[in-house]
Amino acid sequence: MMPAVRPPASLALIAVAAHFAIEPAVPQPLRTAEPLPEAPVVPPSPPAAAPAAADDTRVPEHADDVVDYTLRVTLDPVAHTVHGEGTIAWRNASTRPVREMWLHLYLNAFKNERSVFLRERVGGRGSEPPEDWGWIDVRRLALKEAGGPSVDLWPRAELRRPGDDDETDARVPLPREVAPGETIALEVAFDDKLPTVIERTGYRGTFHMVGQWFPKIARVESDGTFAHFPFHHLSEFYSDFGSYDVTLDVPDGYVVGATGTTVESRVGGGRRVERHVQSDVHDFAWTAWDRWQKQAERVGDVDVALLYPPGFAAVAEREMATLRFALPYFSTHYGRYPYRVLTVVHPQQDASEAGGMEYPTLITSGGAWYTPAAVLAPEIVTIHELGHQWFYGLVATNELAWPFLDEGLNQFAEADGMSAWRREGSAADLAGLTIADASLDAVGGNMGVHDEPVAQAASAFTSGANYARLVYARTAAIVETLARVYGRESTLRALGRYARRFRFAHPGPDQFLDTFGEVLGPRVERTLRAALFEKGWVDYVVDGAWSQMARRAGGVFDRAPGDTASDGADAGANERVRVEPGEADGATWENTVALRRRGTLSFPVDIELTFADGTTRRELWDGEGEYKRISWSGPVALRSAVVDPDDRVMLDYNLENNRASVEGGGGGAPRTLERATYWMQLALQAVSP
Amino acid sequence: MSDYRAAIAPPDETPDAARPAQDLVLVTTPAMRARRHPWAIVGVWAWQAALALVASWPAGSLARAAYGGDPRGDAVLWDAGGHALLDALWHDSHGVSVVMRAGGFALAAGIVVGLVPAAALMFAMAYATRERGRAGAARSLAAAVGAFGAFAVLLVAFGVLQGIVVGAGAGVARWAEHMAHPSMGEAHAELLEGAVGLLFVVGASVLGVVHDMARAAVVRFQVSGLRGFALGARAFRSAPVRLWWSWAWRTGAAAAPVAAAAAAASAMGGRGGAALALLALLHQAVVASRIALRASWLGVPLRTVDVALARPSA
Repeated sequence: MMPAVRPPASLALIAVAAHFAIEPAVPQPLRTAEPLPEAPVVPPSPPAAAPAAADDTRVPEHADDVVDYTLRVTLDPVAHTVHGEGTIAWRNASTRPVREMWLHLYLNAFKNERSVFLRERVGGRGSEPPEDWGWIDVRRLALKEAGGPSVDLWPRAELRRPGDDDETDARVPLPREVAPGETIALEVAFDDKLPTVIERTGYRGTFHMVGQWFPKIARVESDGTFAHFPFHHLSEFYSDFGSYDVTLDVPDGYVVGATGTTVESRVGGGRRVERHVQSDVHDFAWTAWDRWQKQAERVGDVDVALLYPPGFAAVAEREMATLRFALPYFSTHYGRYPYRVLTVVHPQQDASEAGGMEYPTLITSGGAWYTPAAVLAPEIVTIHELGHQWFYGLVATNELAWPFLDEGLNQFAEADGMSAWRREGSAADLAGLTIADASLDAVGGNMGVHDEPVAQAASAFTSGANYARLVYARTAAIVETLARVYGRESTLRALGRYARRFRFAHPGPDQFLDTFGEVLGPRVERTLRAALFEKGWVDYVVDGAWSQMARRAGGVFDRAPGDTASDGADAGANERVRVEPGEADGATWENTVALRRRGTLSFPVDIELTFADGTTRRELWDGEGEYKRISWSGPVALRSAVVDPDDRVMLDYNLENNRASVEGGGGGAPRTLERATYWMQLALQAVSP
Repeated sequence: MSDYRAAIAPPDETPDAARPAQDLVLVTTPAMRARRHPWAIVGVWAWQAALALVASWPAGSLARAAYGGDPRGDAVLWDAGGHALLDALWHDSHGVSVVMRAGGFALAAGIVVGLVPAAALMFAMAYATRERGRAGAARSLAAAVGAFGAFAVLLVAFGVLQGIVVGAGAGVARWAEHMAHPSMGEAHAELLEGAVGLLFVVGASVLGVVHDMARAAVVRFQVSGLRGFALGARAFRSAPVRLWWSWAWRTGAAAAPVAAAAAAASAMGGRGGAALALLALLHQAVVASRIALRASWLGVPLRTVDVALARPSA
């Protein structure tokens, strides 16, 4: 899901300016008074257009099928209700017998203002109550015993906890134990009243986006406990894999988009009936609207259907273009997309809270029909939600407990994919001024780094803004830093190995960290752990740069026989001599650079030294210590020093202190003054009548 | 100079034939053209450049404080990807806020104080001295200061009127979108909103043209702002379509050099030194050309007022 507020986006809008390139620097030999490290070990890391090693043979073909839903649902688009009934086959996939089940009834988050969702006012979308309330009423949940009567479990269900009006997390006692490995069949009937569009679901006029709409069994962990939780404002979901066979009954004239393949479609009696089937997924969402326009295309071996409102064709084409690039790109890096279909739903702006969301084989995008081509918002939303097919859909992590594993890693996948596709202008390309998606993540992540850890439950974040900064942006910036410092191909290989190895496996942070350590080494694993769990941060600083002509040292010196004093004369006896400072020799410069690493993270970084004759020289600092001083004598004066000149450490807290110059060694700010003056003149002409 | 003397009009005996100064006389109607007064255009450019430079100095200082020590200077701020720029906007957000406010104050001051150079430009086009030809900077500025009150009244009056029109346009356009949304859908309804809003923008631009007509009346007849309003409106009625189009094509044309300069700046990249100097020259040429177009337009109201209200037979 896309965050409602992307912190630095407004900054990008402010930054309307021309773009200036870099003049190439000429390397120069450097004479050092102390050995300096060998040549940089940091590999060059252009955006990875070439695929990393694909290894789909190790990718499991199918998930462990735990729960199968067979539902028939009818939409009343006037009353905005959905009636559903059918069966649920659930297998106790744990190692313990269970005596209860937990059902998520997340549509009840919009039933009243006492729901957990609406009580958690943390900002962002979904913060205001819907104009029209929504809820789900379970009419029947019956256990079908072989050869016996069905037992309705619902009368004994506990929807609420004492003192809590939230009805999104229901406990259902079972009349008997369900043994490990045993499958039970449940008959279910329910009625939804959809809210006006709020946070991923609801209606607006005849538009209906139907998510979190059926009684959904919480995932059972191996120890027999259910990973159940109320619908938190910042949280998404966590479920077992299974198969969905859903027959949708809507008025004729409505166009339907839904999870899975359409295996049956017929029209009659003023109704359209479509049956959608999909296995190896853990959720099902659908939409119905009588105005949907449709663009269909086969991308690789995937049938893509793009549903968009009238007048949005241009934006829809941009989204299809995104998929043409991103589907094969993600399949190459993170394992083959295993489904035959993908549906993209682009809601109108008046239903924008239904946009920017992911479900298995169905994603929702967003953006105005007039979004300028220079602003890549439709592309970013589309690639982001597509990436969730892997980092949410296929790995199926617990989105409440560890949101960084889905939103964070997917944010990196988004920025990396956009960079590979659109290079430096991957977020905006305004008349030469390019803003990269990764730059937004870097700055956004630093905004919240000292506040709270990245790796914590979604419900633990103190604000929606911090959730966006840390879960999305910070995680992406962390992985992007690894890619730039240790190599993009290696980093993509690590992330790809994680995504392949743990496909359908519900991994946690340990699996993620172990895989990165396995590919990139223990230092990276330690760095990741500190960055994710311990509010790790780093700020490289050039404390100072000095250069002066070598000259004879002055002062009072005690000399013994045989000593050679600074004036070059040998001493004949013990004596104390006064030596006047010498004149500069005119040939040798004594240069010094002082560097500092603040914070708890460390990365190897380059140091670029620029000399008076215009030449430059790179040195490498392993970045482990907190302080480093480089002193040497040479024929050319030092002018300036820059740490991390290639902008590899995207986590660097402050880029402004990454440089220092000797007196007069800097380049000043003529470009900014020139541009600002010009823009001010234009503004003056615009407002002066 | 001799040509200019020939352009001096004969003594005007009409009741409104006041002069800004005793030694200033009207030039003939055809002589009221911007191209005869390049130094006046340079003067307006100098005013705008000076104000913009002063207003931009804090931005330059901020960039210098942040990245002036880099061997590439503030080129870092404009590197591809915008990381340093975004980082600076965040770390220096308070400074950026001050810079933006200072710019806002400068613009506000520019609107008010800028009435003087604008009026001086019009006086320079409309008047001359019998002895020395062109009115000159000192006389034009003195006359402009004298007309400041009338220009200010017009600025307020037309500012309010244009604000009302634009505000009403926004409201009507929004209402049209709201009404059309259910039947037309979002995109088409918003297109309708834009079209309706555009009509009101055109209306506001017509008021802008009348505003300039009123200023021309103030310059030509040395009348108060309110009297100038009435005279300007009357003159506008003489040829509304021609006048609006005369303004519109120049305004449209003034956008072209800005676009061209943006393309050139992008193509030239961020090199410093001579390339930066060349870019600065290009930018100033854009600014000057826009002032010239504006001055060219201001000659039209002067001539129209002169013909329609004072010298119908000219």
